[in-house]
Amino acid sequence: MDSESLQLLEDGLRKTMATASGQQLDAALAELGWLEMLDEMPEAAVPLVFRLLGETGAHAPVLNDVVLRAAGREGGGTVPLPFAGGSWVVWGRTDQPSSALGDDLPIHRVVQGDPVPVAAGRHALGWWLVGAGRAMLSLARQHALDRSQFGRPVASFQAIRHRLAETLVGIEGAEATLVAAAAEPDDLSFLLAKAAAGQAALTAARHCQQVLGGIGFTAEHELHRHIKRALVLDAMLGSSRELTREAGKALRAKGFAPRLAQL
Amino acid sequence: MKVEQFRADLRAWLDEHDLTPGPDHSLQGHMRQYTRVLRALYDADWMRYGWPEEVGGLGGPAMLRAVVGEEVVGRRLAEPGPYSMLEVLTPTMIDYAPVELAAEMVPRLLRGEEQWCQGFSEPGSGSDLASLTTRAVQDGDNWVVNGQKVWTSYAQYSTRCVLLTRTAPGYDGITAFFVDLDTPGITVRPLRTMHGVDEFCEVYYDDVVVPAERMLGKPGDGWRLAMDLLPYERSTCFWQRIAYLYARFDELIAQASDPDEYELGAAYLALHTLRCRSRTTQHRLADGEPLGPQTSIDKVLLAGAEQRLYDTVRDLLPGTLELDDTPWRSEFLYSRAATIYGGTAEIQRNIIARRLLDLGKE
Repeated sequence: MDSESLQLLEDGLRKTMATASGQQLDAALAELGWLEMLDEMPEAAVPLVFRLLGETGAHAPVLNDVVLRAAGREGGGTVPLPFAGGSWVVWGRTDQPSSALGDDLPIHRVVQGDPVPVAAGRHALGWWLVGAGRAMLSLARQHALDRSQFGRPVASFQAIRHRLAETLVGIEGAEATLVAAAAEPDDLSFLLAKAAAGQAALTAARHCQQVLGGIGFTAEHELHRHIKRALVLDAMLGSSRELTREAGKALRAKGFAPRLAQL
Repeated sequence: MKVEQFRADLRAWLDEHDLTPGPDHSLQGHMRQYTRVLRALYDADWMRYGWPEEVGGLGGPAMLRAVVGEEVVGRRLAEPGPYSMLEVLTPTMIDYAPVELAAEMVPRLLRGEEQWCQGFSEPGSGSDLASLTTRAVQDGDNWVVNGQKVWTSYAQYSTRCVLLTRTAPGYDGITAFFVDLDTPGITVRPLRTMHGVDEFCEVYYDDVVVPAERMLGKPGDGWRLAMDLLPYERSTCFWQRIAYLYARFDELIAQASDPDEYELGAAYLALHTLRCRSRTTQHRLADGEPLGPQTSIDKVLLAGAEQRLYDTVRDLLPGTLELDDTPWRSEFLYSRAATIYGGTAEIQRNIIARRLLDLGKE
């Protein structure tokens, strides 16, 4: 797909996600040919769709499709997914409420599931987390420019600027790991990319929350949605903490550090 | 030439030609070994790829140089410090020196016949580099330089220096020269530092006469020259430094007595993230994208990963740094400077805030 068609697709997806979420968005994505895109152009479709979910704050149960297709199964259904702490969950394709953080995600605990391939799902979640990080950064940046204290925009204070700079460093670093993993697919690369993205989103949450001050703690401001989303997504298919430990375990087993991204 | 094929051929050549360093691990020993490796690589052409033919190179993409740096430094055949000077100063000479001067001088650097240094920082001009005060005054066909530089790496081993001077007020009043360090009036004094390796020097200039044809660019081009050099410092140079850090990390994995898998994984994640970012940067450079403030992100990631690695060394080899005389000690101490040299972490974050996040003035 050329860059012009990709841009058109991005604009269309963004518009759809601005108005629909959950079951409705799931249906809209199906209508747009999501499952076909996943089969025919996953290298473009997965980063695009999942990054936009993060940036717009919408959600849809499409992680199921990525994992199901990676397992060689039909898309469109659900499959039990590993969650932090050895838990298993099902991400339903309904709008049925659940006890998951944020009130809006139909994610339910299940007793257990069968092992599933996780690399492709981690790749997708990584883009979602990076998108969520960018959404938080954008909100905090605008607030820093708009909010005036001591007679000047708070964006002029170095303490604020450095937090936002640190947020961007994390996001850009994570994005590079995602791009490199897709260029040379490898389970460890996807694991690291998911860990980097989870860490970047959690860093963004911490710094942006602080920069937004009181308003960012209200339910009225949308920041909290992105923070809660990031917490849930970070825990999905292994939290950044768990994945980091898993990477360390792999290093001990190998006895050296694999150089995963080549020029 | 395909990068993968080039890497495979280089690896095969290095496997056949033993360039392992000798037992002398002093700074002097490292410099001698560096010279030896460069000479061998130049004679076998490896050192010439990625440089233009006008300066003794064989052409090809700059990425080939990163591959050579990664193999040579990653195998611990040469230390990354002196090697990085070549990578920074050669493009500067190609872009700013008169054509004949570059053609005459650059091959000497690539062959390891000479070491050069970079006279930028001053006692009063660190983060605020543009405030530098070392003066150059025109006197007929010459310029006369007076002032003091500091943190000039490897000046005591260098024959020439790319020197920033003040010729007029402001950013547009900075002018660069290519100065022979044996010119009368130059005094080099190595600094003692906390990690015990005297690579940084103070360099004094007292009525030093520099011919006008040694000017790099035109009067007032100095600031642009300094800024243009950053993408090189932060692409090919970083790639070899990353190779060095991975090599040291391998050593840590082999030696670690504390099996803390989270700590080990966190150091790896930081290194891997840095490596991926550097890979992206080099692809951008290869695609002809201008690299400006974006490389501040690479710099923050490098400094963070390097300090994280050596903090992990201290945590996973408890007692080693404090009680045993091993290379870890000096390396750990040196890593403390990673957030200071080459533009402090704070300056990088200022640049990111101003130029990438467009947050307006402080």
